Amino acid sequence: MATREIISTGNQLAAIAAVDAGCKFFGGYPITPSSEVMHEMSDLLPKIGGTAIQMEDEIAGICATIGAAMAGDRALTATSGPGVSLKAENLGLAQMAEVPLVLVNVMRGGPSTGLPTRVSQGDILQSKNPSHGDYKSITLCAGSLAECYTETVRAFNLADRFMQPVIVLLDETIGHMHGKADIPTAEDVKAGIVPRKRFDGPAEEYFPYGVGDDEPAVLNPMFEGYRYHFTGLHHDKNGFPTEEIETCRKLIQRLEDKVAMHEDELESYEEFMMDDAEIMIVAYGSVSLAAKEAIRHLREDGIKAGLFRPITIWPSPAKKIKEHTDKINKVLVVELNIGQYHSEIQRAASRLDIEGLFKVNGRPISPYEIVNKVKEL
Amino acid sequence: MAKTLMRFTGVGGQGVLLAGEIFAAAKIKTGGNGLKTATYTSQVRGGPTVVDIQLDDEEIYYPYANDGEIGFMLSVANVSYNSFKNGVQEGGTIVVDPNLVHPTDEDRKRWKIYEIPIITIAKEEVGNVITQSVVALAIANTMMNAIDKDVLIETMLSKVPAKVHDVNKVAYELGEKYAKEAMKN
Repeated sequence: MATREIISTGNQLAAIAAVDAGCKFFGGYPITPSSEVMHEMSDLLPKIGGTAIQMEDEIAGICATIGAAMAGDRALTATSGPGVSLKAENLGLAQMAEVPLVLVNVMRGGPSTGLPTRVSQGDILQSKNPSHGDYKSITLCAGSLAECYTETVRAFNLADRFMQPVIVLLDETIGHMHGKADIPTAEDVKAGIVPRKRFDGPAEEYFPYGVGDDEPAVLNPMFEGYRYHFTGLHHDKNGFPTEEIETCRKLIQRLEDKVAMHEDELESYEEFMMDDAEIMIVAYGSVSLAAKEAIRHLREDGIKAGLFRPITIWPSPAKKIKEHTDKINKVLVVELNIGQYHSEIQRAASRLDIEGLFKVNGRPISPYEIVNKVKEL
Repeated sequence: MAKTLMRFTGVGGQGVLLAGEIFAAAKIKTGGNGLKTATYTSQVRGGPTVVDIQLDDEEIYYPYANDGEIGFMLSVANVSYNSFKNGVQEGGTIVVDPNLVHPTDEDRKRWKIYEIPIITIAKEEVGNVITQSVVALAIANTMMNAIDKDVLIETMLSKVPAKVHDVNKVAYELGEKYAKEAMKN
């Protein structure tokens, strides 16, 4: 695949990716450290006949995004953790009504207003269950500048494939760092777009939610003659509210199974110097960059450390994690929170002796802190 | 040149971010790797700001400069100078604006400290205070010999509006002149 070199920031690359992936709409409200995504979208979208709207707040931002997606467009919103908190209710609506959209969350210190300009990875669990109720989130996490681009592109394709919101996690470091990214050409990205399914039969035979047990809804764009009811209530194949017992059960089970039964399509991870690793470091996002440098130093000292980096965070690459943790005794999870993914690694590994290196003061974890921790194990 | 680590510090609004972007982009143009990261406070104007610049022929992983490994720091605000000076390696070079930053005698023993009135140069000799980041860019490059001068100037000009090209060229030459004079003394 042909590549091109762009010198930019992670936030700008996410916006460029969205436009290359066919996104025509951005609705949002600026918040540090994600604002540059919106700045870039408001610059790029009008040039291609798209629309970027600064709404009155984060809630309106995602509501507008849901509306654009229902009209058939690929649509993006971007924010940081406090904004996701506000958008949570409508992320749940998009899960329930099966509206595809992409949310870029550039993580900063929390909870609440937290540390607005500082790096954090405190939204890992939030991204798994931002809203109440049962559904299965899809969350991708960029670990380099190039991935700010490629994972945003993948998010749009997955949103249309699974008909639900897909979250792309960046963190302040990745979002703001400025350097070189080797990314696919826009032509290749366009060629790889798989648009969402549509129903082409007679309108009276259109049942958007009348699909197979592990299949996503088929939502034709509004205003094209295919009518359906749109609601956050439990609904039947037409979208109309129902309390019929079996219909309700099947709906929620389907929201789970449409993802759970196709996890192989979602799984994505990187293995760095894992071939002969005797110590496995698990890290994602910007922390994985510190881990890679730490591994370089550890290897110079004769310590065989390797990195396992989940790229699809939810659902986690649990099978692959277990494969490694069954063989490798010493496992260290490094993250900018107090063990949010650590608990997932414990679960996947079925082990309670997984070590952790955590930091929550808004500062990055340096390679030397990782080196020192590994040497203590 | 294997690896150059530089740190620019000031307060929000002074434009220290731009110099970092120019350095990184110029290094990438020459086929190497360049990365700029910035940290700042939620006080957008007036809070201490630090920009780390890494230039390397190898792939750069960790995006920040490790404390103790920084070879060059430039500072135009005392609060930032005090917060970040300890990242500079023993014997490393520090350039300060003497009107704004006041190193201690201890500091002068630990590092090579040069005093260059960057903001006065930009304001009075160039005639535009915004050019201070380009004066700083020239000083850093002259002292660290990091990037080919022509490539750096060409990159710089690509990042500033055309109407201020001439004034920024003047700023670069003045920065270079002052840096050379400082190193002579």
